[in-house]
Formats: sequence, structure tokens, C-alpha cells
Amino acid sequence: MSASTRMSSRLAAWLPRLVVAPSLLVVIVAVYLFILWTGLISVTSSKFVPTYDFVGLEQYVRLWATPRWHTAVANLFIFSALFLALSTGLGLLMAILLDQNIRAEGALRAIYLYPMALSFIVTGTAWKWIMNPGLGIQRVVNDLGWTDFRFDWITNPDMAIYTVVVAGVWQSSGFAMAIFLAGLRGIDNSVIKAAQIEGATLPLIYRQIIIPMLRPAMLSVIVLLSYIAIKSFDLVLALTNGGPGTATELPSTFMFSATFRRNQMGVGAASAVMMLMTVAAIIIPYLYSELREKNDG
Amino acid sequence: MAEALSQSSKMRLGRLAIYACLVIVAVLYLMPLWVMVTTSLKPLDEIYGGSFIGLPKVVTLDAWRAAWSQACIGTECTGLKPYFVNSLLMVIPAVALSTGIGAINGYILTKWKFPGANFVFGLMLFGCFLPYQAILIPMARTLGLLGLAGSIPGLVAVHVSYGICFTTLFFRNYFVSLPDELTKAAMVDGAGFFRIFWSVILPTSIPIIVVSCIWQFTQIWNDFLFGVSFTSGSSSPITVALNNIVNVTTGRKQYNVDMAAAMIAAIPTLVVYIVAGRYFVRGLTAGAVKG
Amino acid sequence: MSKFIATVLAATMLVPVAARAEGEIEVLHHWVSQSEVDALNVIRKELEAKGFTWKDSAVGGMSGANAQQALRSRLTAGNPPGAMQFLGWEGVQWAEQGVVRDLNDLAKTGGWREALAPQLLPFVTSGDAFIAAPINMHRQNWVWANKKIFDDAGIAVPKSWTELIAAGQKLQEKGIVPIAMGDEPWQIGIIFDALLSDVNGPEFYQKTAIDLDPEALGSPEMVKVFDTLREVRGLVDNNFVGRDWAVATGMVINGEAAMQFMGDWAKGEFLAKGLKPNQDFYCFATPGQVTSFQYLIDSFGMFTVKDENVQNAQTALAETIMDPKVQKGFNLIKGSIPARSDVSVDDFDDCAKLGYQERATAIEKGSMQGAMTHGFAAKPEFASVFSDVAAQFFVGTMSSEDAVKMLVSGIDNAR
Repeated sequence: MSASTRMSSRLAAWLPRLVVAPSLLVVIVAVYLFILWTGLISVTSSKFVPTYDFVGLEQYVRLWATPRWHTAVANLFIFSALFLALSTGLGLLMAILLDQNIRAEGALRAIYLYPMALSFIVTGTAWKWIMNPGLGIQRVVNDLGWTDFRFDWITNPDMAIYTVVVAGVWQSSGFAMAIFLAGLRGIDNSVIKAAQIEGATLPLIYRQIIIPMLRPAMLSVIVLLSYIAIKSFDLVLALTNGGPGTATELPSTFMFSATFRRNQMGVGAASAVMMLMTVAAIIIPYLYSELREKNDG
Repeated sequence: MAEALSQSSKMRLGRLAIYACLVIVAVLYLMPLWVMVTTSLKPLDEIYGGSFIGLPKVVTLDAWRAAWSQACIGTECTGLKPYFVNSLLMVIPAVALSTGIGAINGYILTKWKFPGANFVFGLMLFGCFLPYQAILIPMARTLGLLGLAGSIPGLVAVHVSYGICFTTLFFRNYFVSLPDELTKAAMVDGAGFFRIFWSVILPTSIPIIVVSCIWQFTQIWNDFLFGVSFTSGSSSPITVALNNIVNVTTGRKQYNVDMAAAMIAAIPTLVVYIVAGRYFVRGLTAGAVKG
Repeated sequence: MSKFIATVLAATMLVPVAARAEGEIEVLHHWVSQSEVDALNVIRKELEAKGFTWKDSAVGGMSGANAQQALRSRLTAGNPPGAMQFLGWEGVQWAEQGVVRDLNDLAKTGGWREALAPQLLPFVTSGDAFIAAPINMHRQNWVWANKKIFDDAGIAVPKSWTELIAAGQKLQEKGIVPIAMGDEPWQIGIIFDALLSDVNGPEFYQKTAIDLDPEALGSPEMVKVFDTLREVRGLVDNNFVGRDWAVATGMVINGEAAMQFMGDWAKGEFLAKGLKPNQDFYCFATPGQVTSFQYLIDSFGMFTVKDENVQNAQTALAETIMDPKVQKGFNLIKGSIPARSDVSVDDFDDCAKLGYQERATAIEKGSMQGAMTHGFAAKPEFASVFSDVAAQFFVGTMSSEDAVKMLVSGIDNAR
């Protein structure tokens, strides 16, 4: 009797671990084993198909001697910084405005959110036309009479990356808006009331009280947007295909073309490892602080 | 009196400014959709004649008809119809499985914590940030070994494998804010592991289930990379078929059919966002944000 | 009644037999546009007339890179398609991995080696073995011009790039866009390939685009190529970003633009509008001292499979592709000329006939060369360096000297 109780209690203790084990196994194989495999490829001379002859860090040297890769890395920083700042800023602004008892809130929210539902395979062509000086915004404004108006970033190698930012912000800021809106709805109205009674103006209330209270929402937004920024791939392919020239190359597109178009599988793997290291450098400290906080609390 | 009036007119002006801002942003956001819809209604000659943006002179639904049931993908002129079905066959099990597994993982990682639970969570979370281009070849090999290569079940397996990273994150962050007393009380009542999950935890988690489903549905429906790598021919999902319609290199682009096809491919995700958008925000409010 | 039952039984019996996929072959290709598909259907119908089933697997986009990626996944998973369309060195590289079927028996009985120009052989053979069956040959270095614009401005078909650029400048003053094109690297590459050979002769093309000779790559001749490319850039309008090649062709057709550099697939756009070569539009080779013929071919290779039914279908497909009648039917639609040199082009249009003639002279003069931009010269890791440099140069403000330096160091880095 007591033995069976002990058995069942031991089973009860192990049951959660048993249930979570398959997921963990899948993740270990599909994420970590495959990362290791990619790391392995990056130190071989693989070109067209994997070959397993060790060449040390030769592929990394080659990678960093490729101007195209330098462009890709620089673009990733420009793109991520602007994309994060603008999406977060715009998302927050729209959320605050939408939170002012707006009529037709549902419809507006749907409009801000819909770009997230579309893949860039779908919207790329439309964006290409809108950005094209001879077809899109510039032409419309010029035809309206402002003939000096210029919006030809997409034709300029130095500016083209900003058109990618614009399209990226269009896609993701609505998502940020939704998370912020959720955060705002979670804030107790009495806090605002109390501050108003104290005589604080609305902008001050937002700056001093409400926005600091959105910190958890801010963190979620930044994590999810970073994920989107690092993985941006369809966006660039559909909008500029890396052009003009190689001006809008990103690490993800570099990796794809090295592996599948240029027969430089080793270089592609090396670039993947560099990307993973960047991600790890950002995510691991975040995870560490988040999870430790939870343990303490 | 006069002061109060100016106060209220100032208020009204402020509200007007808010509405103006919101509407301007909305118009800008709708621009690409506008371009897509108008283009899909134009005859091809009108577009090649130089009309890219602007209202169609002649409105025709031919492009929509062609995209749905006539457009050729390779030498098979079936339109998007069969691929739409493929995508449904893929997305429904993949979303259901990944959400279900994520829910139970989140439940374990918060309510049945074991030593190293946080580490396990960290391992899974990192998987969210994996650039998928890097793991195509090893995944292909694995699917081949499992006998799932080139099939929809194989694709479902891939989406579930990477999807559980996200869903576990969502559910864990939601459950972490549920009071532990809830499960403790149930345990005192003699309810077991699964019983508590079913009758205590799940009923409270509708909002986060909605969030997880929307996110997974969008990601999986819009995926192109896995679709093109792990399926072929008639088992391809809709994004691959769409790509085959849109991505012409040495042929003439049928812009109107492209746009109509793109709209058809986008309708399910659009519907999900519009119908479930309200629950999405509510679900995020209910807990996901408190990560 | 019993007869009825018998019929029903027979019918139900028939279904599984038909569904047993006897001699079914899956063909992975990246042809998805209307004219490409129509041409492909010529092969498909012929194959089906022989009693085999064609299972279509199209993966379009990125000049076949998506299809390559799909193929790589399929081979890694141990699930290769029966046949695959090859461009450039792809077939040879797969053959080196030992996964492509040797077609020598068929080649011998079909007399393939005699029927093909020797310049093609490096792309369809590996060692002694035939590994792919070529269906067509495109020429990359064509100029397509609006005849009315030329006539109105009193411009004759240019005989050199100097003449061509001068004509362009003249047109520009009249408010006509001299050259219609898009900013995609491959569209720029078409011009770059032509210049390599036209400005400095086919030997220079051989030394740079094929042999990657460091001295030639860094030579003053290469600077001259970039200088000319810069002049060409001056003749292109600023709205060229993101423009599809067919839209650019449309500009030539409408009279908005005078010329376009494009492979012979552009011809279909003119013909579809009912325009006639030499009456409504001109087609001529990019001008050089020696007229070059920069070709690309599409071929189909067969992967090694165990299933005998599939093997039979592979045999039938290869024979169908090399059938002169099929080559003719296919190429009439595709806009190219048959890969086999022994198929008459009498029924073809004037542009195809001109191409056919010029191919014969180019073979003699050694100016028939593979088109680098489409993968028929240097291997992809090197060709992509050329394409990167030319594209960056074209859209930016880099000097010719810097471009040459970048080219030399880029090629060295990829070695």
C-alpha cells in the first residue's frame, strides 16, 4: 500500500518532466544539433554540397574579406536600430491616441494591424511601385503641382536601406501598437485620475507615470521586433532584392545567396554562425536577467 | 464662463487633432492594399500602358477568376485552389499541435517547476531566434530519415518543432501571472496533473490561446522557406504556388493576376486579424505583456 | 445487367492500374511564365503520347535559386525528382556528386555529340559521360530597338559601341529614353558581358570571364569596359529601379525608349503585339569588331533512381527532348533556337534566323561563348563577384579604377 503510494508520488514528481521531455528533445535536435552542424560546415571547405575536410577558420577570413558581407552587417545595424526605434515609437503613439475613447477604434485597430497578416511575397510589388519615383508617391505629388518634390530613395544606393525600414515599420508598428494598447488597458484608471486631481497635465502624466508603467510591454515589443529584424528576409527580397547593386543586402539574404546561389556553403555557414552569435549576445543577457528576476520574486 | 468655453473648444480641437492623426496614418497604412486591390481589377494592357497606381478605367474580375482556378503553376493550370487546400491541411494541425504542446509546456514550466525548468525555458526561447536558412539541409536529412520528406505531414512536423518555442513562451508568460493558489487548491482536492490542466488552467487561458493561435497561424500560413524546401509539386502550400505565379524571370509579369493571387493568399490571415483582432488585444492585455 | 456489372468492375479495376503511376516522372523546373509553360507543354504532350506521365514540380523565382534549394533539400532527404532542369554548371556539379544518370547509351544512338556545337559539351557532359539533354539555346547579347524612333532620328543600326552611345545621346536630346532597363544585377550583367567581348575582343572575354586571369582582370582594358558601362548608365532614365525587363521591353514597344539589351526571350513581347522584325523593330547583336554570340542553354538531367518505371520514363523524356521535331516546336514558342545545330530554322522568324547564321560564323571565329550572367562562364562563386561589382558600379558613383580593384580582390577572395 505504502509502496504503491510512494510509486505513484514518484510518478507524479516525474510526470511533468516526462511530458515536457519530447518537446525538449525536439528543440535540442532541431535547434542545437542543427546549429552545431552548421558550425561544423563553417570550418570545412564545403562549396556545392557539404564536404567534411577541416580548413580551420578559412571561411571566416573569406567572409570578412567580402565587401558584400560588410554591407550586410552595416545594414543590419542601421535597419535594426531604425526599425526598432520607429516601430516602437509609432506603435506607442498610435496606442496612446487610440486609447482616448476613440470612435471606430475597432476599424482603425484592424487597419493598423492588417500589414502584420500579409507576407512580403504579397506586398512587395505594391511597395516597389509606391517607392518608385516614376510611378508612386513622387509622381502623384509631382502631378498635384509640387514638381520639386523628391522621393527617390529606392534608386539611391545610400538611401535604399531606408525604404526597407519604411516598409518594415509599416508591417510591424501595428503589432507594437497592439501590445502597447494591451499594456495601457491593463493600467488602473485611478492612477491617472489621481494625478489629474494633483493638477498634472496629460502629456506629463504619460511621460512620468504611464510610459514607465509600460516597461513589460516595451520589453515584449523589443524582443518580438528584434526577432523580426534579424530574420528579415522576404522583406528585402521582395522590395529591392538586395539592390540597387548590393546596397540593401542583409545577413539573412547574404547567407541564402552564398549557400544556394554562389556555391559557397562554407561561407554561408560562417555567416550563419556570426548571426547566431549576435543573437546570442543580445538574447542571453536578457534571458538571464528576466529569469533570475523571476526566481527571486 | 468664457474660460470654460475656450477650455472645451480647446478640448475639441485636441480631439480633432487626434482623429486627424489617426486617420492620416490609417490612409498611409492602407496604401499598399489599395494598390493591390485596384491593380487586381485592371486588365493587363492598362497596366502595361503605364497605369500602375490609380483607379482602373475598366473593372474586371478576370484576374481573380484566373488566379483562383486557371492560372498555371508550371504546366498544371489549376490556379491556387488546390494549394489553398494544402495550406489549410497544413496550418490547422500545425497550429493546433503547437498551441496544445505550448500550453502544456507553459503549464509545467510554471506550476510544476523542477530544477532546471528555467534553463529548459531558456533553451526553448533561444530557438525563436534561429535563422531558419541555416538549418534547411540538416532538417531535410532528418525528414528523409523519418520518411516524411516532400509531404504535408513533414511540413507540419517542421512547423510544430519551431512553433513550440514561441507557444511555450506565450503560455509560460501567461501562466506565470496566474496565482499558484489556484493549482494548490485543486491539488488539495485531489486533482492530478492532467486534471488540473484540463479543468483549472485551460478554462482561464482562452485569451492566450487566441494570441498563440493568431501568431502561429500567421507565421505558418505565410511561411515560404520551409514550404519550398520540404514539399514539391502538388503538395506545396499556397505561398509556394503564389511565388510560382508571381516570380517570373524571363516571362512577362501578369500583374493583375499576381495581385489577385496575392490577395487570395492573404485572405485567411486578413480574416483572422480582423475577426480576432479584438481578442488579440484582449489576450495580450490579459497576460502576455506581463512577461 | 451482368454486362453492366462487368463494365463497372472493369472500370474500378482500371483505376488502380492507371493510378499505379507506371512510368511516371516528376520534373522539377523553374519555368513558370506563360511562354515558358507553353513551350514546356510541347515536351509534355510528346512524352504523354508515348504513354508516360509527367508530374510537374515548378519552383519559380530568383533565376532558379529557389528550385536549386528545393533540389538540394530533396537530394539530402534521399528523395530526388526524376528529372531536373539545369542552368549553367549545375548539372556538371551534381554529376560530380555521382547522383546523375549517365545518358551515354542514348547519346550514342541519338548522335547527340555530332548534333551539338562543341562549345556546349562542357555543360552537358562530365568526364566522358553525357549527363544532360539540352533543349534550346538563347542568345543573351541582343539589342532590341524601336525602328520608328531610329528612322525618325535618322539613326542606322550602330556598328560599334561608340556609334551606339552617340546615337543614344542624340536621342536623349530629343527627349527619348535611349536605353530601357531595370536595375537588377542580371540586367546590368547582360550589358557587362557584352562589353567584355565587344570592347576588347572575344579573347579578352575568354581570359577574364572564363579563365579568371589576374593580369587581364586588372588590365587597362578592363578599365575601358567600366568606362563604357558608365557611359551606358548615362543613357538610362532614373526610374529604372525595380523595373522588370518586360516593362522595359514595353517601353521600347510604346516608343518611350529606343533600345533594350536583353536575351531573345524579349522577342516574344514584340511578336505578341503583332510587330514584325525589321519592319517594326530591329534585332541586332551588341556591336563589336567581332560579332559575339553569348549563349545560354537549358538542359534536363536525370537523377539516379532505382524504380525501373521511372528509369523508362527518364529514357523517354531524354529522347523526347533530343527529338529534332520537339526541339523545333519548343523553340518556336520559347523564342530561342534549337540546341541541336542540325535542326532547320526555316519556319522561324527573322531574328532567330539571324541568330542561327551568326552562331555559325561565331563558332568559326571563336566568338561563341557562354554567357557569364546566366552561369555559362565562370563558376557561380566567381560570376557573382563580377555581377556584384558591375551592379554596384552601375547604380553608384564608383570610379572605373576602383571597380577594377574591387573585381580583382573579390575574385582572389573567392578562389
